[in-house]
Amino acid sequence: MSSKKVVRKVLFNLLIAFLALFWLIPIVWLVCTSFSADSGMNTSTFLPRAWSAVHYAKLLQSDTVNQFGTWFLNTFKIACITCLVSTFFVLMVAYATSVMRFKMRKPLMNIAVILNLFPGMLAMIAVYFTLKTFNLTNSHIGLILVYSASSGLGYLIAKGFFDTVPRSLCEAARLDGCNEALIFLNVVLPMSKPIIVYTVISSFLTPWMDFVYSKMILNAGISENYTVAVGLYRMLDRSLINTYFTQFCCGGVLVSIPISILYIIMQKFYVEGITNGAVKG
Amino acid sequence: MKMKKILALVLAAVMALALVACGGSGNNSGNSGSSGGDAQNSQNDQSGAGSQDPDTSGGAAGETISLTLWGAEEDQALLVDLVEKFKAAYSDQTFDIKIGVESESTAKDTILTDIEAAADVFAFANDQIDDLIAAGALLPISGDMDAVLQNYAGKSLEDIKSANSAATVALATRNDTLYAFPMGGGNNYFLYYDSTRVTDEQAQTWDGLLEAANAAGSKMGMTLNSGWYNASFFLGAGFTTALNADGSTVVDWNGTSSKGITGVQVVQGMQAIAANPGFLPIADGDISNQINAGNVCAVISGTWDAEAAQKAFGDGYAAAKLPTFTCAGQQVQMGCFSGGKLIGVNAYAKNSGWAVLLAEFLTNEESQVARFNARQQAPSNINAAADPAVEANVAIAASAAQDAYGVVQSVGGKYWDPAKSFGEQIAQGTIASDDASIQAALDSLVEGITAPVG
Amino acid sequence: MEDHLSEKSGISGFFSNFGTAVAKGDWAVKLTLLWWGAGYARRKQFVKALIMTALEAGVIAFTFLFAMQYVPKFGTLGTVQAEQVFNMATMKSEWNDYDNSFLILLFSLFSFVVWAAAIVVWMRNVVNVYRLQLQAEAGRHVNSFPEDLRTYLDEKFHVTLLSLPVLGVVVFTIIPILLLILVAFTNYDQQHMPPTNLFSWVGLNNFISLFGGGVTANFGYAFARVLGWTLVWALFSTLTTYIGGIFMSLLLNSKMVKWPKLWRTLFMVTIAVPQFVSLLLMRNFFSNGGIMNTICADIGLTGFLRDIGLISTSYIPFLSANGWAHVMIILINIWIGVPYQMLIATGVLMNLPGDQLESARIDGANPYQTFRHITMPYMLFVTGPALVTDFVKNINNFNVIYLLTQDVFTTTNQAMANAQAREVDLLTTWLFTLTQDYYNYKMASVIGIMIFVICAVFTLIAFNFMIRGDKEEGYQ
Repeated sequence: MSSKKVVRKVLFNLLIAFLALFWLIPIVWLVCTSFSADSGMNTSTFLPRAWSAVHYAKLLQSDTVNQFGTWFLNTFKIACITCLVSTFFVLMVAYATSVMRFKMRKPLMNIAVILNLFPGMLAMIAVYFTLKTFNLTNSHIGLILVYSASSGLGYLIAKGFFDTVPRSLCEAARLDGCNEALIFLNVVLPMSKPIIVYTVISSFLTPWMDFVYSKMILNAGISENYTVAVGLYRMLDRSLINTYFTQFCCGGVLVSIPISILYIIMQKFYVEGITNGAVKG
Repeated sequence: MKMKKILALVLAAVMALALVACGGSGNNSGNSGSSGGDAQNSQNDQSGAGSQDPDTSGGAAGETISLTLWGAEEDQALLVDLVEKFKAAYSDQTFDIKIGVESESTAKDTILTDIEAAADVFAFANDQIDDLIAAGALLPISGDMDAVLQNYAGKSLEDIKSANSAATVALATRNDTLYAFPMGGGNNYFLYYDSTRVTDEQAQTWDGLLEAANAAGSKMGMTLNSGWYNASFFLGAGFTTALNADGSTVVDWNGTSSKGITGVQVVQGMQAIAANPGFLPIADGDISNQINAGNVCAVISGTWDAEAAQKAFGDGYAAAKLPTFTCAGQQVQMGCFSGGKLIGVNAYAKNSGWAVLLAEFLTNEESQVARFNARQQAPSNINAAADPAVEANVAIAASAAQDAYGVVQSVGGKYWDPAKSFGEQIAQGTIASDDASIQAALDSLVEGITAPVG
Repeated sequence: MEDHLSEKSGISGFFSNFGTAVAKGDWAVKLTLLWWGAGYARRKQFVKALIMTALEAGVIAFTFLFAMQYVPKFGTLGTVQAEQVFNMATMKSEWNDYDNSFLILLFSLFSFVVWAAAIVVWMRNVVNVYRLQLQAEAGRHVNSFPEDLRTYLDEKFHVTLLSLPVLGVVVFTIIPILLLILVAFTNYDQQHMPPTNLFSWVGLNNFISLFGGGVTANFGYAFARVLGWTLVWALFSTLTTYIGGIFMSLLLNSKMVKWPKLWRTLFMVTIAVPQFVSLLLMRNFFSNGGIMNTICADIGLTGFLRDIGLISTSYIPFLSANGWAHVMIILINIWIGVPYQMLIATGVLMNLPGDQLESARIDGANPYQTFRHITMPYMLFVTGPALVTDFVKNINNFNVIYLLTQDVFTTTNQAMANAQAREVDLLTTWLFTLTQDYYNYKMASVIGIMIFVICAVFTLIAFNFMIRGDKEEGYQ
């Protein structure tokens, strides 16, 4: 290897390291702040004035404001079901619009585009009353429905991916006597790990991230029903922020850990899972 | 009702099957997915219809009375205690009381979204009362409710009104009708300062405070970009606000006040403060952080920041009424909107009689004393406020001193955004200091505030 | 009219088939118009007959038990005000049977959707029964019930796939949207809030007051300002994260990178932190009295900026002043969005046709040329539709703007403030403020419709341009 090449390589890796550093500053700040001994916010120094893990202990002990353990389980439960339903919905719609040909295909796709143009915030109040009609406000089922029922509209990325799957494979399977369901399950899905991973991750995250809908639907003020997002968001209430800011950061860290693990596992999946030769064929 | 639900369920199951069957032998079933789907909706609607029916079960005697109650997060432990005491006080009845969390400052938002789903009894800050009344969310405490109070609690409406300070009763009264029970006073703002860096005399005037802040290398902080805080300058100069029946607001800030001060002169006074290097404009809601971070030696805030201020200022911790500011060559005492915490009863509460009794119980003298002991909140009850422990509380004393200059807050929903922006313009110095520019800015402000509602 | 059913597609084919079936069908087909199961019973398909009968019963039950409570009031949106009487004996409030305009609107809409679906099912059913008749007359095989079921796994698999997702979209997206379109033609605002007050139809009044000037001149002005920033934001946020994502994934996929997995993992950790945590932290980080300002003041940057006249305050208004906030929001959005886009780009790049890359290399193309002529067109093809939806998503991107600027940014433009808008507001955050803080549902709905109209024209053109011309099959 020539020395010029080595220099380039070093510079290249330095660039990436620099970018990574830039991207990690807020995360580092979050983690550091969560280990602060103060309970309120510190605006004068980047690192905490005194270090302590006491707020993690406080966070894990429920009090009247904070029931983090319960919130975490609630959110996990909701996220798992949402993720399952949404992933199926997205893949189903994507397969139908990408691989299959039927009369209503184009009109349905155009309708989907149109629906995506409406600001979701506007429909919120109507969604709330729809759920109330079914007696599903203040229930986790209601939240799951809100997160997953319309997920089929987000099929475009998965469709774009399915479009790249060679049609010859489907034809071959059809000649072997497979019906569409078997082609979907046995031919297309196994080749689509990256997009499945993408869909799983993004739908699993929704309940952890959303605070607007969950705040509206869980409006009875019953703390045990909260998701992590609502619970943590409430800690920033004007009257609570001084006592709970560090606990809020702890909560943020604790939520991020399982999601990070999910990402790391899934990343391995999609880097390795895609090396099949079919795509190149 | 139950039969209806079961029927609906059975039908829904049948329809799911129908989804498969409909258009069974056709070959162009493009949209049968959606049509079958809609048919299934109808079933869900029906089960919905079942649950829409008002619950008419049960008679009067021996029945469990279910009530829901919303209070602030910090109050939860206290509320659990008080509810137990309430149950004990009315031990001949069985209660099922659910306590939920709803911040006093944002209760209105949740309640107005869906009044019928809101709690039967809820705590809220007085600034929300007009919107709540307009939406019909508050049960007027009059007539029948007076009788209920006399029969069960052994006190009349008049007793309750006279037990609480006139100022807090006024907060809860509109058109001579009481709409909520006063729970606490002192929901206004005043001055916290560090007496090691600011002398008591300096704390009397803005000029003194800014001088002290500059000398100490610290700041005198106040929120300007909030109509709640920045009105204090105008109110102090004798300007007024009023609320029309249709919910729109009347202000005269672009004219001349009863004290002969013009709006332009008030703004010039504010501009002089904002331009001083010793002044720190604090974003609404960021005050606690700034106190905590040690960025200020004096700050305008309310009792909710007493703990933070005590911690930050240590031995120098002191509080006083708001300072005077220099305006039209004289010292003008800042005013304020007087404020308090109220407990209201949902107009759509089913067990409205018991809801009123619960609200009354949570605001009676004993409960207010318990609330002061637990949370250091100023009571509205005259006897409770006369307690030496309450009178010794620095923050509550300052709040009460400032309340002498307070006026009842009578502004509509259109007031807040224009007033907030106006404060920010002064904080950022975007209004030129000549009379014409200020007058134009004030005219625009008044136009925004007085705009018709809707 | 001919005996056989037309294979014509579209609505006209649907209606002509129905006409043929009614005209030429035997008595069983005609009876099917009344009793949905008749035709199947005649052909001894008893399971289907039972199902269709039950379905019909369901629709009838729905109509009389539910829809008739609301639909007759649709024209007035209710006339009975809520009134209550207190019953001293039970200690309860007793209410009259009052109308709730919002529920009348919502449930009428539900009923219309259900009825529309029922009519389609009814017409298709008649056609299907007629088709059965033709098959039986020609002596051809009539599918048994299990055989019918089996077609839903094969040529009609798309029905199986789409039924549930479409149902979800109808209930949770289409009906709410239709409802709020209707609200734009009512006077639903803080003065007319159910359940205490009723609201009613006002025709085009709300649209007139948006454009008619007068007392609501501020609204029209604010709408134009907010729309402008919304489009600028959507364009910049989409492009920056898209390009950044491709750039980063190319960096990380380069052969020169040591430990690519480690780096990718580090970037992905930033997505793992929920936005409401990371963005609220950012907001505090960059607040007027926040750490960034402390640091800038310490290193003298604040003083320098003040000297050259860029700022007039004693702090740098990162998120609280016009201009500064706009730039910061887009920068922070890059931080948030690029790792997401990198994830997508990496997935797509993995699928890059290897033989093309190979032949390009043999032809002596340099990395830039390969990128320009192979990688980029491929990326654009696969992610093209996603780019359009990203743009729309960004137009409606609530989280970033709301979390970064709520309580921090205050407009200094009185005309904006008078319309409850701020310079950094997107249309959706403005709508949110109007509905959450001012309960001005009617104007929020009008604005929602306006933005939809503007976007719809633009997007449909872009989208159709991208997927037209059978480009879809190009890479398959």
